[in-house]
Amino acid sequence: MPVINLWAKDGYLSTPDGNSIYFWGFAKSESDPAQLPGPYIIAKQGETVTVNLYNTLSEPVSITFPGQPGVTAGGQPVRPQYSDGKLLSFVNHAEPGGMMSYNFTPTNPGTFIYESATNPHKQVPMGLYGGLVIRPADFKPEIKEYKTAYGAGTNTEFDREYLLITGEIDPYLHRAVENGKPYLVSKYLPRYWTLNGRCAPDTMLMDRVDYLPHQPYGSMVMGLPGEKILMRYVGAGIENHPLHPHGAHTRVVAVDGRLLRNGSIDLSYKRFTVLVGAGRTCDQIYQWHGLGYTPQNPIPTTLPNLRNMGVGDAGWTMWSGSPYLGVKGDIPVGVVSYNEFGEYYFMLHSHEELQITNWGEFPGGMMTMVAIYPSLSPDVGLL
Amino acid sequence: MAIVGRILQAAVGSLSLPDKSIPFWGFGDVFLGKPQNPGPLIQATVGDQLIIWLMRNFITSIGEPLSIIFPGQENVMVRKIPWGPFIYEPVQPQYRSGKMISLTNYLDEKQDIIVEYSFTATKPGIYLYESGTNPEKQVQMGLYGVIVVRPQGFNIPGHPNYMTAYGAGTNSGYDVEKILVLSEIDSIMHNDVLPNVYYDMLKFKPDYWVINGRSYPDTIRGDNISSQPYGSQINCRVGQRVLLRIINAGFQNHTFYLGGFAGRIVAEDSFPLKTRSLDATYEKTGVTLGSGQRIDIILTPTTPGEYCLYDREYHHLVNKDQFPGGMMTRITVM
Repeated sequence: MPVINLWAKDGYLSTPDGNSIYFWGFAKSESDPAQLPGPYIIAKQGETVTVNLYNTLSEPVSITFPGQPGVTAGGQPVRPQYSDGKLLSFVNHAEPGGMMSYNFTPTNPGTFIYESATNPHKQVPMGLYGGLVIRPADFKPEIKEYKTAYGAGTNTEFDREYLLITGEIDPYLHRAVENGKPYLVSKYLPRYWTLNGRCAPDTMLMDRVDYLPHQPYGSMVMGLPGEKILMRYVGAGIENHPLHPHGAHTRVVAVDGRLLRNGSIDLSYKRFTVLVGAGRTCDQIYQWHGLGYTPQNPIPTTLPNLRNMGVGDAGWTMWSGSPYLGVKGDIPVGVVSYNEFGEYYFMLHSHEELQITNWGEFPGGMMTMVAIYPSLSPDVGLL
Repeated sequence: MAIVGRILQAAVGSLSLPDKSIPFWGFGDVFLGKPQNPGPLIQATVGDQLIIWLMRNFITSIGEPLSIIFPGQENVMVRKIPWGPFIYEPVQPQYRSGKMISLTNYLDEKQDIIVEYSFTATKPGIYLYESGTNPEKQVQMGLYGVIVVRPQGFNIPGHPNYMTAYGAGTNSGYDVEKILVLSEIDSIMHNDVLPNVYYDMLKFKPDYWVINGRSYPDTIRGDNISSQPYGSQINCRVGQRVLLRIINAGFQNHTFYLGGFAGRIVAEDSFPLKTRSLDATYEKTGVTLGSGQRIDIILTPTTPGEYCLYDREYHHLVNKDQFPGGMMTRITVM
């Protein structure tokens, strides 16, 4: 029976433009830093999960698990909490310095959110949220037919999987909380838009880089041509985000952790863009197939002379210098290429394009890349 | 095939928010003489002819021309008293000097006494009716309401359509039904709006979020005879099928969260998702509704208790920046 400990704490986020932003987040233990998003919780259908919440913040904190039936707190079904007749929390909370233990038994596999249910207008945007993945009861990652999101026979097999959690940050309101001032939602104006708690280009960095101690999760989606890449979107912010990857459409197989299938009828559908609504989740399978061009079967285009090419004004590129997968070529002088092995990069971003900036400066915000490699370790793309 | 007739008037009234009162414009039944938000619930059965009279208000008029549009209804006809047209004609957008001034035929309170709209309810579902004249101002001021069209036999025990929203075979049978109309209010605008004076909608900034015209905690109070007559508290027993009929009458999108439950979407914009050939119903924990969209959801609570239903866009859960408030209500499961 998985037992997860979450410590509600404060800390500071880093943004690529050099800002440092006070936030509240969940930590794995008393000694670990608060993180954004909170630690991923991975559990199994039918197996009871215990989540122990330890609250080190100065106000009550609670956790709600939308889509999980029969959640109990301290052994009793969760209930809204009132103080002097005024609603304080949607479910039982931990007082400052206290703890609360939640239990539930997932009935459905899927992708879910967990988040604070106390002063949620403040605590959720402040960072008290995370992703919850429930494996199907028959999940066996070593057998292809049983490495699925929703169970064998549901057409949800995948080779690699990624959890991408959206959020927004209003730095002034975070500072107000840091200074003990009220969080006035009427002033709410986000300036940073995050994937897994990071703004681009930090989204493309590896997991657990030591200079982002509070933002351990990267968002770079990596795979091989033809592989089934499972993208699990979670909308943890309070706004809706139209997300799409370039390079291929996705097949939406589930929403809100519920398989799009009735009996034998497959209700999954292809989309270019999906709206990741507040508190919603969306599971999709992305498959990239090339057009078959290689140096032996060249593209029917003459490449321009290198001296006539420019690469934006960012001074860097993900391009390999060659149109062929697995081949590296020359890139214009003075441009830095972050391409490793001649892999292809396709942007994945919010199409509300103000949100792919950091405080108005492009590139940034809610953006990452899908990288299609010529070869890749099987250890990449595990949750 | 009955005739469902209603006589509506628009009037200026007072809307009660948890910490203040503001003026609003609402539809009211002429015999009750009081505007309300949302407007009076109009109920009909498939095949009924609806005849809606929009009548001049001689005393508490809103002071500007107004009309009613019926999104989702086809072949709406109109006639006017006393100056005609006397024979039904299809509703049309109205222009003056080449400029559109109304999405449909309107009541000019200087000369008209009654505008009569008529149509046949052909499809079951939940529909909005709302002002089609200066709608950016009049709808925000409160001129909207709901029409429920029920399948034939919905009230006849033993009939296959009994207690269903969309008829037999649509997975829309219910034990408890609740209509939740979502909207938002800019209280500054409500205080400042003047009849026939342009209101700059760039200043629109809602500060109250409502279900059935009320902000939490008023939402969980019962139905009453105030100008916000419809409560939003839901009561049911374990295992009952609760039909939530959610309509977004406002200008913002809202993501209505189902108290942690997953509900089954049985109709979108009043088109049932289950037909004879395909069951396309699906489950969700919350639903994002754009302006004017409707959704029918069946919830079947399995655990007794009390659960909050709310807009997951959490900045809408405040009154004057204070949580709790706004677009939130409660379901009590016994």
